[in-house]
Amino acid sequence: MSAVDTPTGAASSSKPDQNEQNGQNGGREDSGGFKLKFCTVCASNQNRSMEGHLRLSLANYPVISFGTGSLVRLPGPSITQPNVYKFNETSYDSIYRELEAKDPRLYRANGLLNMLGRNRQVKWGPERWQDWQIGMPRTKHKDDKGADGMEGGVADVVITCEERCWDAVIEDLLNRGSPLNRPVHVINIDIKDNHEEASVGGRAIVDLADSLNKIAAEEREKVGASAFDSGSVGARSGFDERVPDVLAEWQERWPNLPATWTLAWF
Amino acid sequence: MSSPVKTPPMSEQIQQLNAARKMALENPGFFKQIIQGILPLTAPSAPVELRRWAADFIAEALACPALRTQDKENLTLAIVDALRSLVEAPDQDPLVLKAGIMAAASAYPVIVRWIILNTYHPPAWETMSAIKSKILSIWENTPTPVKLCCIKFVQRVILAQTASNGTEPKHSGLDVNLAMIPPNHKFLDPRLLEAEAIGLLDRMLGGLQDNSSDALIVDATLNTLSILIRTRPATSSRITNAVLNFNPLKLANSPMTPKNKVLVKSMTKTTQMLLKHLFVRDSHNPIAPRLNQQYERLQRSRLDIFDEANRKRALPEQAAAGYGDVKRQKTEGVAPQPPLRIQPLAPGPHTLAEVFSLTNNTGLQGFDVTVVPTSLTARINVRTLASLDQGQLDMAINGVRDRLIALYAAAPAAAPVPVPVIGTATAQQASVNAETVALGVEEDDDAYEPDFYAAEDTEQILNKLDNAPPEESPEQNAKPDSALALGPFRLPPPPVLNPDTAVKVSQITAMRIFGPLSGLEDPLVRKPKAGLNRLAANSHDRDSWLTLITRLATRSTIGLGDGVKSEADATSSALGRPQMSLGNLIREMLFNYVLEDWRRRIEVAVAWCCEEWYNDRLTILNKLDGPLNYERCALRLMDGFLSYITAQDKVLTRFLSEIPQLSKELLGRLKGLCSDPTTVQLAMTSLLYLVMMKPPARELALDTVYEIWVEYEDARPLAEKYLHRWRPGFAETHAAADGAPTGNGTQAMTA
Repeated sequence: MSAVDTPTGAASSSKPDQNEQNGQNGGREDSGGFKLKFCTVCASNQNRSMEGHLRLSLANYPVISFGTGSLVRLPGPSITQPNVYKFNETSYDSIYRELEAKDPRLYRANGLLNMLGRNRQVKWGPERWQDWQIGMPRTKHKDDKGADGMEGGVADVVITCEERCWDAVIEDLLNRGSPLNRPVHVINIDIKDNHEEASVGGRAIVDLADSLNKIAAEEREKVGASAFDSGSVGARSGFDERVPDVLAEWQERWPNLPATWTLAWF
Repeated sequence: MSSPVKTPPMSEQIQQLNAARKMALENPGFFKQIIQGILPLTAPSAPVELRRWAADFIAEALACPALRTQDKENLTLAIVDALRSLVEAPDQDPLVLKAGIMAAASAYPVIVRWIILNTYHPPAWETMSAIKSKILSIWENTPTPVKLCCIKFVQRVILAQTASNGTEPKHSGLDVNLAMIPPNHKFLDPRLLEAEAIGLLDRMLGGLQDNSSDALIVDATLNTLSILIRTRPATSSRITNAVLNFNPLKLANSPMTPKNKVLVKSMTKTTQMLLKHLFVRDSHNPIAPRLNQQYERLQRSRLDIFDEANRKRALPEQAAAGYGDVKRQKTEGVAPQPPLRIQPLAPGPHTLAEVFSLTNNTGLQGFDVTVVPTSLTARINVRTLASLDQGQLDMAINGVRDRLIALYAAAPAAAPVPVPVIGTATAQQASVNAETVALGVEEDDDAYEPDFYAAEDTEQILNKLDNAPPEESPEQNAKPDSALALGPFRLPPPPVLNPDTAVKVSQITAMRIFGPLSGLEDPLVRKPKAGLNRLAANSHDRDSWLTLITRLATRSTIGLGDGVKSEADATSSALGRPQMSLGNLIREMLFNYVLEDWRRRIEVAVAWCCEEWYNDRLTILNKLDGPLNYERCALRLMDGFLSYITAQDKVLTRFLSEIPQLSKELLGRLKGLCSDPTTVQLAMTSLLYLVMMKPPARELALDTVYEIWVEYEDARPLAEKYLHRWRPGFAETHAAADGAPTGNGTQAMTA
């Protein structure tokens, strides 16, 4: 599977301009206060997870992103000739320049250059989930978008963009044996791998992040065990307990993006 | 780090602390220094924000993989007292408590390792034990987020207090285990520790049963189990059993609110992931097939409940309806189509293609539409027709009509016009066709498509005219109307069918009946069988299709005179090759299909036998002169099974009990099993089952048991037991005939 399925012929000349969209949806004022830390995951860390990464960072959330595939795969001139790159060793910029040299017309028409151009503004290159040393301080990524707050190298919520990736993440976490003893909510949102769906999915991810952050902030506003006994049932229970409620409400708002959730451990 | 004493504003303090934290993250060497500075913040008197920060920081430090084991040990020893007071503080803030327990979970193996190697310093172990008992005591009655961390803490305790098989990662304390404790350790008793661990494990797994609708607890528990099963053999079977017995779908019986959906899906998927993870990692484990089975069961149920497949298929349409149209509207709004202008034809002779050509682009005019696959052309046409603007279409039609009128008007003046049309068409048929047909596709930017049909019709007519007999007079040709009349057309006669080809073709036909089976899924819901009267194909699933196949095999050729006769001849060579009727062909394939995976397809075999039996009944009742197939099919199936049978194959018992009729010969096949000591039990159980549960076959089964008793030494004790129990009089006969049991067995049987 390539990271971006761009059906030939439906080459997205009418595709909404990425930057223009960002101008509309992202770049909101930082309200300060508590922020959950997010991690977005897709197959190649190019399209869906990067869309989510950018959107979340523009909404001022600390965020990192990964791909679960074995290699970074991008569509090539035909279905049997994908462009393949190694994770962690190839920068978005180098991929951009390579594709631009190969066939600028094709890769502009199918939106790859546009996507890579966006990605290289977000971080250095695609990273592989399985190679991520969870909990290792991320002090070398200061220039990445959303790096602020991610220094600890852990996330509170992992959002995958495809069931396969969710499976890969859970499988990997089971393999690692949860050495950090830190709970993490892993949520899958099924987003199809094309530019339009990624854009819609990106909005949905930010919506989910906002909803989750709201309840997390509420949990932190309560002080002391006494406060725990007062208040409504919803407010009394903690963040973790309310995640399924939030997800259920979110799912009602986004019925076309089926979601799966579990509480796993880092 | 003395800033908290001076109490500057809270936000400023937090900022300072965050700066310190960043320093530690950049250089883990600073962790210890900073932690010692912030320990006072864990005191109950400190403001809650600072307590939370401090607890989070401690948890982070103790988990940080950047620290070496040695550093972590020092760090842990430095904070363990503070951790104790933090956990034990009354009315502790839940977030502080949560972080405290997370820290304790990381600290536990570190302290255990340390105390194993440093027996001289018990206080650290005592403090850790106090933390442990405090956490265990609050485990049950604490807010859920804290409870989650208690579960994780308990998992680390179990990991540390059971013996490892050495396959875990050697870092983060995951490798600390019971085997590291020397037997003569001063105050660690491995047996007590292990007993405690197993007790805790049971308590933890109890959560799967008690809270089976609390997805948070269930998920958190399930997601901690993998490493225990994999690396702590003492826990494996307990956990596997608990997981296999856990039913994540229990909640699915209550009303499916959106939240319940999330919970059920979450628990089911999480259970599935654990099952899959386990059986993929260790596929040779004897438990693996059970794990796999449970995985698939859950998969079916989940698909069933959430009907995800349908939803996913619907997505593209919904997406198109939801936001796809927005885009389309935009393009439509932006680019109104320019009004269509159709150039009148220049005077002089024209080909029909030119009459219908609406584009001036010579490149497009030359496009050979016949290279486009028909299916694609059809799709393009349908699309275009659907989205065609009526005004454009009218204009196009009128334009062509005007051209034709102009041509007709010019005709009397010049030579008869259509003649050159047909003349050129005959002379350069290929090029004309190309041009004519090209009309349809060339204007894919605009909407002239319907002309394509007109053009095609004309082209076809032309072709037919070309084929038409030459005796048509030129006068007739000269009249355009008669040129448009359809000539008579006959299909070429089919090739003669000889018996060989017929057999081959029917074989292919029979094969194709089985084609869909591989693609069909099991029905999502197991429906109760409605018996022989059910409709074969009320839904398009594997079950229905198999019913259809079995009926085709059994009933299709019944009473078809000759075919049946010849079949009767063939019965001697069971399902004989020479004269295979369609029914027998399908039988043969059905037999192969069942045998390919007979353990799973035993149901198919039973259904088939039932149909055969029913059909035999019908044949007899209606006094039809057909062969009876039931017995030989059942025997053949039985022989097929027996060549692959193992002692575990209880499906044999099921097969024998479910097929409609048993015979001596059929049961006699079981005797063969008794020559192998491993399968004796299976044969005898099958027979006992028949004796107990199928009274009409009881005597038959007992006869077989008796024969086994006579013939097979290995099976004698079991056979004797059954005969004593079920055959009155056997005891006496047996006593009488004792010593010579092989003598007059048949007489004893009738006693």
